[in-house]
Amino acid sequence: MNFFSRLIVDIAYFIHTSDAYQHKKRFFYDLLENNKYKYKKVFDIFMIILIFLSVFILISEVKHQVPAYIKYFNIYVISIIFFIEYLLRFWTSSSVCEIIIAKSEHDTMLGREFSLSRAIIKVLKAKLNFIFSFKAIIDLLAILPFFHELRLLRLFVLFRVFKLFRYTTSFQIFASVLSTKKFEFIILLMFASIVVFVSSVLVYVMEANNPDSPVNTLFDALYWSIVTISTVGYGDVTAVTTEGRIVAMFVIIAGVSVLAFTTSIVVSAFTEKLDEIKETKTIEDIRKLKKFYLICGYEQVAQEVAKKLANSMTTIIVLDEDEHRIAHAKRDGLVALNYDPGDTHSYKKIGLDLSTQVKSVLCLRESDVENVYTTLTIRSIDKEVNIVSLLMDDTNRNKLTFAGVNEILYPKGLVGMISKELIGRPVAFEVIHALRNEYFGVNIEEILVDDRMSEKIIYVNELNNTKFRVVLLGIYKKDTKRFFFNPIDATMLESGDYLLVIGKTIFIKEFEKYLHKKTKK
Amino acid sequence: MKSKMALIFGYNDYALEIAKNIADKYGSVVIYSLHSEQDSLKNKSDFEIRGLDLSDNWDGINENFDFENSIAFCVLEDSAENIFLTISLRSLFSDLHIIALSNNKETANKLQMAGANRVIPLVQTTAEMIAEMMEKPIVKEVFHKILFESGELKITQVKINASNEYIGKEISQLDWNDKYGVIPLSMVHEDMRSEFIYSSKIKHHVIQEGDLFVIVGYENCIQEFEKSIGSRYDVNWCNWSR
Repeated sequence: MNFFSRLIVDIAYFIHTSDAYQHKKRFFYDLLENNKYKYKKVFDIFMIILIFLSVFILISEVKHQVPAYIKYFNIYVISIIFFIEYLLRFWTSSSVCEIIIAKSEHDTMLGREFSLSRAIIKVLKAKLNFIFSFKAIIDLLAILPFFHELRLLRLFVLFRVFKLFRYTTSFQIFASVLSTKKFEFIILLMFASIVVFVSSVLVYVMEANNPDSPVNTLFDALYWSIVTISTVGYGDVTAVTTEGRIVAMFVIIAGVSVLAFTTSIVVSAFTEKLDEIKETKTIEDIRKLKKFYLICGYEQVAQEVAKKLANSMTTIIVLDEDEHRIAHAKRDGLVALNYDPGDTHSYKKIGLDLSTQVKSVLCLRESDVENVYTTLTIRSIDKEVNIVSLLMDDTNRNKLTFAGVNEILYPKGLVGMISKELIGRPVAFEVIHALRNEYFGVNIEEILVDDRMSEKIIYVNELNNTKFRVVLLGIYKKDTKRFFFNPIDATMLESGDYLLVIGKTIFIKEFEKYLHKKTKK
Repeated sequence: MKSKMALIFGYNDYALEIAKNIADKYGSVVIYSLHSEQDSLKNKSDFEIRGLDLSDNWDGINENFDFENSIAFCVLEDSAENIFLTISLRSLFSDLHIIALSNNKETANKLQMAGANRVIPLVQTTAEMIAEMMEKPIVKEVFHKILFESGELKITQVKINASNEYIGKEISQLDWNDKYGVIPLSMVHEDMRSEFIYSSKIKHHVIQEGDLFVIVGYENCIQEFEKSIGSRYDVNWCNWSR
């Protein structure tokens, strides 16, 4: 490798491994291309405003005298901002260093001499790919009004409107939906072109020599033909000879069918893609959520759990690979996605952050195999998130624990324990069952003692719970993880403790309000 | 002599779990299976397995067990069969205590109509536990300790004795939690419906001899309480409403 090539490769490695450089490049990439990045939206809105300003100024110029500074702003400032954006996109579209390094490593591996010229060709190819991409061409055209001396170029301001495609996802969805019907559109276009071509030639031949006819040139005939086939029919140019009118009749019939065909293609494209569009929207909404429960598998137990959790403030998201179960979940009013919870790609596609967004994962398939599989998948992505799983066969308990489940619920064992209670201590069972289900409006709640509360209320006897007709069952001390039943009056309250109270739901709410109010004084 | 028995209908994991948990309370536990021959072969537990035919009239059972103190669990996997079994048992033995397992609300209602004293709604109960784990983890832990683990904290029902200082006092004047370390949760009416202790209905109820209270407390506190105030009253749970 000659000195110059070595220098280039060294520089490439240096830049590639520079944290500061990569960090900056990453930032601009996120800002321009990454839909998940929170500031991208701000940037997009800023650019949309610039586009509309630009168009507004163009329109104002037609009939009014626009102040010089506004013209200056429109021609230079906006264009320069667009130009900077273009350069940034050009920079982040591909990595020159990466291409050079990849080429050099590739050549070294094969025992070849590193060819700088080939590497440069690769770099050029990658950059030219960007330059000739549809969106980049529009970007470039939007900058052209900078050369305002060329009067025609002023109209290129309108290209700025096309830039809106970049900043609004709905346009992109619209374009992608229509592109699925490319084949049908091409056929339709060909059919329409042939009809237009044949009819305009025919009308020209039949009408051009007739002095009464407004059709004098081939352009007139083409104009008439397009106005007629589109079913617009201005009436400024019409066929006057019998032959011309016969042609007109055919064109009109063809026009109706072209219009009907176009409508049906657009409608069918949207119906076919509707589920996909809805799914994209759901995923976008999920990404914005802060805390939610993730239910994997929507079977009987899951349906009931979702009903019970519906009262809580936390959203529930359901993942299941079965379409019918997902349809069921949607009917139940839940946010549900037809994704396999046992597949890591599902989580990548949705863009979930398991550690920060998910409060708990509930593996509620009524099959241990599925639950173990889902647990392992989730654990492979995140080690911390709380996982609760159903256990159908006690022999699989160890497997679930080994896979990384935090809490296991074994319904069969529960039946055994309930039976024992029903026989041995029916009172206890019934009372607790009634409390759990809020029969007679009586409920049990946990109230967190926060910093402010613990500063104002030091001892248990200051709680005043009897005044609110609330029974203080006990205090759960967070640091020792112990439950103190019926604490004596002199028990100290500390931040992080939980009060377990029983009472009518409304009284508990009043009591809780009072505790918070008291702290404000 | 007629014996106190636990009859479990259906041979499956539920039956075995129930049998395991209640074995120490009943003299004998018998599992009835629809496919007794196959199930006897694979049976590894100590429990006896007998054959069951849904069209049978159970003359054999009729003679040698004490209905009043015996209990039947209907845990057949097929809901229709389970309901049929419950209704057959009820029609034959009107005093038998029947506990049935149901998979959903609809079956639970039917089982109750068929005459089951208590229905364990399996799916609902499991879901309740999971929801509680998520929303009220501490409540779940404390309840679990009171109910299923042999912790010291107990919940029980006490009947007020003839002579003690509380007779004639209003419920709102009770100071049992300071004095005895037990917390009264509810009072039980004659029709076995319980009323929460702070409800406005019974707040001014004057305590009389024979009133029933549901109290929570440590075992030793409850014993102390019983000595001076009342005796533990084991209600026959099958009369317990709901």
